[in-house]
Amino acid sequence: MISMMQTDFLKIKRKGFWFLTFLGPIGVVALQMVNYGVRKEYLLQQSENDWLYYLQNISVFTPLALVLGIAIFTSFIASIENETNAWKQLISLPVSKMMVYLSKFTILACLLFISSILLMLFTLGFGIFLSFDEAIPWWELVKYSFYPYFAALPVLALQLWIATVSKNQGVPITTGIFGVIFAYSAYMLPDWMIWKWPSLMNQWDEPLINVLLGLGVGCLLYVMGMLDFTRRDVK
Amino acid sequence: MEYIVETSNLSKRFGKDLAVEGLNMKISKGEIYGFLGPNGAGKTTTIRMLLGLMKPTSGRIRIFGQDIKQQRKNILAKVGSLVENPSYYPHLTAYENLEALRKIIGVPKQRIYEVLEIVRLTEVADKKVKGFSLGMKQRLGIAMSLLNQPQLLILDEPTNGLDPSGIIEIRELIKRLPEEFGMTVLISSHLLTEIDQMATTVGIVTKGKMIFQDSIETMRTLAGHAISLKVSQAEQAWRLLLANGMKVEHESGLIMLHESSNEMVAEAVRLLVQANLSIYRVEEEKRSLEDIFLSMTREDSAV
Amino acid sequence: MGAVLRSEWYKLRKSKILPIIFAGPLIAIIIGALFNYDSMEGGFNKWYLAVLSMNLTYALLFLPLITGVLASSICRYEHQAGGWKQLLALPVTRGNVFISKYVLLLLLVFLIQLLYLGAIYIVGIINGFTDPFPLEIIWKSIIGGWLATFPLVALQLWMSIVFKSFAAPFAVNVIFTLPTILAVNSERFGPFYPWAQPFSMMYIGGSADDVFFVPWEQVLTVVGGSFIIFFLGGYIYFQRKMI
Repeated sequence: MISMMQTDFLKIKRKGFWFLTFLGPIGVVALQMVNYGVRKEYLLQQSENDWLYYLQNISVFTPLALVLGIAIFTSFIASIENETNAWKQLISLPVSKMMVYLSKFTILACLLFISSILLMLFTLGFGIFLSFDEAIPWWELVKYSFYPYFAALPVLALQLWIATVSKNQGVPITTGIFGVIFAYSAYMLPDWMIWKWPSLMNQWDEPLINVLLGLGVGCLLYVMGMLDFTRRDVK
Repeated sequence: MEYIVETSNLSKRFGKDLAVEGLNMKISKGEIYGFLGPNGAGKTTTIRMLLGLMKPTSGRIRIFGQDIKQQRKNILAKVGSLVENPSYYPHLTAYENLEALRKIIGVPKQRIYEVLEIVRLTEVADKKVKGFSLGMKQRLGIAMSLLNQPQLLILDEPTNGLDPSGIIEIRELIKRLPEEFGMTVLISSHLLTEIDQMATTVGIVTKGKMIFQDSIETMRTLAGHAISLKVSQAEQAWRLLLANGMKVEHESGLIMLHESSNEMVAEAVRLLVQANLSIYRVEEEKRSLEDIFLSMTREDSAV
Repeated sequence: MGAVLRSEWYKLRKSKILPIIFAGPLIAIIIGALFNYDSMEGGFNKWYLAVLSMNLTYALLFLPLITGVLASSICRYEHQAGGWKQLLALPVTRGNVFISKYVLLLLLVFLIQLLYLGAIYIVGIINGFTDPFPLEIIWKSIIGGWLATFPLVALQLWMSIVFKSFAAPFAVNVIFTLPTILAVNSERFGPFYPWAQPFSMMYIGGSADDVFFVPWEQVLTVVGGSFIIFFLGGYIYFQRKMI
């Protein structure tokens, strides 16, 4: 498994994966840099707790960046194998197909996790720079940085499955567009839709539920995708 | 006898089409097995099933005496393959492409240099594969297939896109493999000449069915020697020989004698001379392998 | 030129693009149907409410993003198996090929806009609107949104010619499209941000003094200007691209 992942890390070299891993969180925070740069006074008046309000502003874009990042990453990693139909080469090695699939999933989960860490660091950095009056709400910072990640795992599992079984990568990308539109409209979606979960909204107002749902349903969708992947003939 | 590759009643159906039908393939150790057939005959589908890329609709595959369904990983650890066009990652160098494979199969790094040397790509090892010529990509594909020091090497149309000197090079390489490394080789092609120069055993497949499987020598004897006789009165000569129990045919003024042992020819000539017929020519008609191949694949049955 | 365009259309027809075309109206219907119209007080025309809520996702995110998918789709079969060299070895100029693909994309986007119009109507029927259908205003919105995609389509065609994969041009598209969410809230930056123009030009709450919902100067400078930059960029890149 470790060697499989080393191989996958080698394959994503020079393809912009690392660039996007950094760009995602930078972009999310940069949007708030512009936002606060343009109308800091106005934004400070909006809330009693400026740190929390700032975190909420950040968290408007986190689900969107996550859902889109997942769509891009999964389609990208499938394209690498699709380009010269390297699936046949890969699958005729002495590795199980489940391992191939698990490795891809794990690699992307790692990259997205790194993105989440970076998001926390950048959020913290710019937050300190803005020098709010309140103390840094550490726990909230961790929550807003990592909860959406876990809540987005079902989307990762679904998109990876679509990307690996679609010959036409327009399909997973279009699914990704649907996903981002759902994520953007999260406030009006029913609770069962997986694209709502990264927004951490639910009727009980308890973000932890979304994290647990994300882990549970994420595993379920992952297993379903993997089983379908192993069942298919490789062309 | 223990076979390296043995399929029994192997079939694969795509929707309504039977791509492979009741295929029984037998490959013994140390052979170079030429898998021959026109494009679209089911060669690549068979090879994909041998590698576990596709699941057979019915039938069984045993490689190294083990069932592919149960022992896929163990089997593939000892198999090298190149299916159709070489698969590679264009944004990586030749070395990195091999390294990506090496990490999975776990041979020493030294092996990368060895296989690069074997296919003579050492000098371009650090160039991105994107800029390689077709022949170089094909050689890289062969290097990839050799990386795990396989006991069974499966090459699907390996000389595709190679120039004549490249073809000769690869051919010489393949011929060396059984002796030097004890490998068994399965090589598919739609070109008979290609197989004729390498293979020790031949399997001919057309429309998904195996229509011939035997040593290349047997195939060559099938190429047979018919003797053609040109005589003054063909009709009369034909009847005479036929009356003496010989297998002859009469076509466009020529007598074709199908049994071509020396005694038989001498006997025929003697009979004709005694009947006062003039014999103008006695010639050996050699059917080329190409002819046999074409007639086999046309009629779907062994000659 | 006509022949190249017909050939492009033929190739496209064979490439299963229909589901992508219908994705737009589908999502618009979903959003339109989910919206709670009774939550709004006062005597608004319900059609206005529907269009405003649907536009929020359709024009802000869907329309800019889908242009990228269309552009990648139209280049996909050229990247596969050496289609570019085959195509350019024919007696056609590269300029013709580029313009044909561009025109075809614009037609597709227009088709999506028409379907969106249909989607608005369907949402109205589902919700049983009795207010008069504000045809003129919605037409303005449809055509305006279409014009506003001209530069975006040009950039996406350019990116799709550069990159083989779907993911890379889409990443570029995402990077420019996401900030729109902030940009449309800003009176200072919104008008100058090309990716915000589809939303602004479809925003039926905008000033109706001009033909469209944004002033003519903005249409000409921002949409026109970015169109020229992206179109020429792609055109020149394609002329020089090594096939």
